[in-house]
Amino acid sequence: MKKKVVSVLLVAAMVASMTGCGGNDAGTSDAGTSDAGTSDAGSVDAGTADTGAAEGDDAAASDVEKPEEITIMFDGTVPTAENGQEQFIAKLEELTGIKINVIQPDHDAYYDVVGQQIAGGDWPDVLILASTQMSSYGAEGVLWDMADAWNSSELKTRQEAYNGAGVVESMFIDGHLYGMPATHGNGCVTYIKQKWLDDAGITSLPTTFDEYYEDLKKMKEAESVDYVLAASGFLNAEAPYINYLPEFYQDAWPTFYQKEDGTWADGFTEDSMKAAMERIAQGVKDGIIDPETNSYATSDVRNKFYDDSLGVFTYWAGTWATNIKTNCENNGLDGTMAVMEPIAEIKAGVQGQHDNAGGYIDRVSPAWCITTQCENPEGVFKYFIEAMQDGADTQFLWTYGVEGVHWSTAAETLYAGTEDEKVYADGEFHMEDNLETPGTQYTKAHIDPMLALTELANDPRDTTVQPEAMAAQELFNSNSVGAFVTPSTDVMNEKNGDLMTEKQALVAKVALGQMTVDEAYAEYESGGYAQMSQDIVDSLNAQ
Amino acid sequence: MKEKQTKQAKPSGGKLWAKVYKYKGFYLMFLPVFVFAVIFFYAPMLGVRYAFTDYNGIKDPTFNGFANFAKMFGMNNFWSAFGNTIVISVVKLLLTTAAAVIVAIFLNEIVNLMFKKVVQTIIYLPHFMSWVVTASIFALILSPSSSGLVNSFLVNIGVLDSNSTIYFMGTSRWWRPVYYIVNLWKETGWQTVIFMATLAGINTDLYEAAAIDGAGRWAKMRYVTFPQLKNTILTVIILNLAKVMNLFESAFVMQNDAVLDVSNVLETYIYYQTFNSGAIPNYGYTTAVGLFKSLVGCVLVLVCNHWSKKVREGRGIV
Repeated sequence: MKKKVVSVLLVAAMVASMTGCGGNDAGTSDAGTSDAGTSDAGSVDAGTADTGAAEGDDAAASDVEKPEEITIMFDGTVPTAENGQEQFIAKLEELTGIKINVIQPDHDAYYDVVGQQIAGGDWPDVLILASTQMSSYGAEGVLWDMADAWNSSELKTRQEAYNGAGVVESMFIDGHLYGMPATHGNGCVTYIKQKWLDDAGITSLPTTFDEYYEDLKKMKEAESVDYVLAASGFLNAEAPYINYLPEFYQDAWPTFYQKEDGTWADGFTEDSMKAAMERIAQGVKDGIIDPETNSYATSDVRNKFYDDSLGVFTYWAGTWATNIKTNCENNGLDGTMAVMEPIAEIKAGVQGQHDNAGGYIDRVSPAWCITTQCENPEGVFKYFIEAMQDGADTQFLWTYGVEGVHWSTAAETLYAGTEDEKVYADGEFHMEDNLETPGTQYTKAHIDPMLALTELANDPRDTTVQPEAMAAQELFNSNSVGAFVTPSTDVMNEKNGDLMTEKQALVAKVALGQMTVDEAYAEYESGGYAQMSQDIVDSLNAQ
Repeated sequence: MKEKQTKQAKPSGGKLWAKVYKYKGFYLMFLPVFVFAVIFFYAPMLGVRYAFTDYNGIKDPTFNGFANFAKMFGMNNFWSAFGNTIVISVVKLLLTTAAAVIVAIFLNEIVNLMFKKVVQTIIYLPHFMSWVVTASIFALILSPSSSGLVNSFLVNIGVLDSNSTIYFMGTSRWWRPVYYIVNLWKETGWQTVIFMATLAGINTDLYEAAAIDGAGRWAKMRYVTFPQLKNTILTVIILNLAKVMNLFESAFVMQNDAVLDVSNVLETYIYYQTFNSGAIPNYGYTTAVGLFKSLVGCVLVLVCNHWSKKVREGRGIV
């Protein structure tokens, strides 16, 4: 009898543990702790919730039913759990009157998890996607076409008034709009440590590749370092592919682009790409480019730049300028950076758009998309997507976060007793210390104030954006060209994985001197990759 | 007692349910395991059907016969990954097993118990380190920059010029040797456990008899220890041979674009097919590759079982 009792208890325990596991909806959490958003949902007036909408919009709003609860999926560009996500979502629920469930995978694995989530059939209502994925999922019917909603929205009017509508228009694919960007795409500029320039006796920034390369050599010699610059990969798998080594790629584009006559081509097979590979290989051979670029993640490169192993770093414009400066200073280095304008060779030929005058690449912005599983896409567009850029409270939240967590106007002293001590008077708007990485202040919540597509009322950005960030952003804005969305085809879906892997391998081998450019292209041909490339080009032209 | 054993030895098929009822406690205990196995091991096998379809996880799968297999066998990268999987796994297995046997024999010869335990602990520890951390550590040690320990050493002793350091992790020629060394460092210690257990079970009379016959330490190892270990060595090799197709984490964290030709194995090939296109993958194709991998693994298990019967006097492993 005793044994039976024990066995029954054991079974019960095992079954209970299995049931417990099954009951946990992994990866999905109700980030909001307050029910305020939900309980208020029924009573909030539509026009009131959309705080930024003009009065005339109320009539349209009344035709669109507000969703009571939605699930949104986003990457690390929205506050993480460690960075006050709970408070952020609670505030968002309060402002929108919608209960919000959150799925936030690890930033680096975001698109892997998106793929699994979509394949699993349990799609979120809203998710943020990069242009490539937006194009693919849009073509497969995963994403709701928000073109009509946007065209008739107040949001479009606000964006047009702030020069933001063009960014949205560039995201149309064959008349469809599958996602709404929250900001300009932004891109990378090349930062050079002023001290390295001074040490090398360089008084003016280079304007051509030859000058640039000479300066890199001078800095290497002056600093007695192994290498001067690095990147996260010689060729990235994701658009815009080449933005971390723009001076070396110049007018080369490693994948598909549309020519002026409307036909498609693969830039990898063009002479410009071969020349770019030669330049990169020479850079590695001369000890200018760190060969471990081949295996670095972006964080590796940042850390090497911060610890003074490198002096030149091509990275994001805007708020990253402040992050770079601060991190260098935290390591006891001079944080003064010179920001290079694109060299003449970049200006002469745009990467990916060969026939126009060029500059740094303004990537296609990640966009907020609504899935076709969403039961009320019009409502989600109106009360979630559109509210994000309402020019008022909700946009303020998406831009600066939550008062008391991400920003404050209370009298406060940050970093007291250190060289970075900052004293703020009562009523003075300032960003708070980063919860995850103390010692650095927040610069934004999700929307970079310098990249907004709509005007934000009472925007305190002039007091929060540091001069170096503003300078880098302005330089980028004046010297960048917009990227474009490449449509997706079945053939591309089938073959581009193999093709991109091979392109990355060949570029890396040439860069490291393990193969000549001619040998690389011979392998590209004999391995059948040239044919795969042609098949994709044909499929794009047949669209 | 004897009567009870006889009854158990001769079950009657017609009274199956009566027996189930009689031993219901055991069956009840087995039930969760059975349910677990069905849900997590057998039910997922239904997904094998996607290998014969075009399926992107969004639209309904469409039957395409053996098209995915035809594509697979026509892909250079697939064959490269298949070859790499076999070569890397088998060489790794042989090297690690050989090293474990040698280390186990040496450990067995250590008479100072405290020292022996310290050594054992030290060589076991790497096994518990994650592959990501292991790869990061070796990337630092083998870095071609002046901060790389190995290259700095080679430069300092004059083997290399400071301008011609070796990028071990990014050169096809060096990647596999490095991979094997890292595996030896990480897994040799742990693998000695089973050999140490066998060594502990060797009858000490054999050593005494060998000593009486004039055998020294080397002769004892050669004529007593090693023959006693032979069965265990073969069993370990055969068991692990059946798992050679399962190779992902260690290869994935150590590979990079420049060495894919020698480091891309079947499971990383599936990964890249799924996540590297920037487009929506064809899960039908990746399932076909996975099915092929499983079939090869299954054949290896059966072959190994056949071999094991010879080694283990007619008793198979599975």
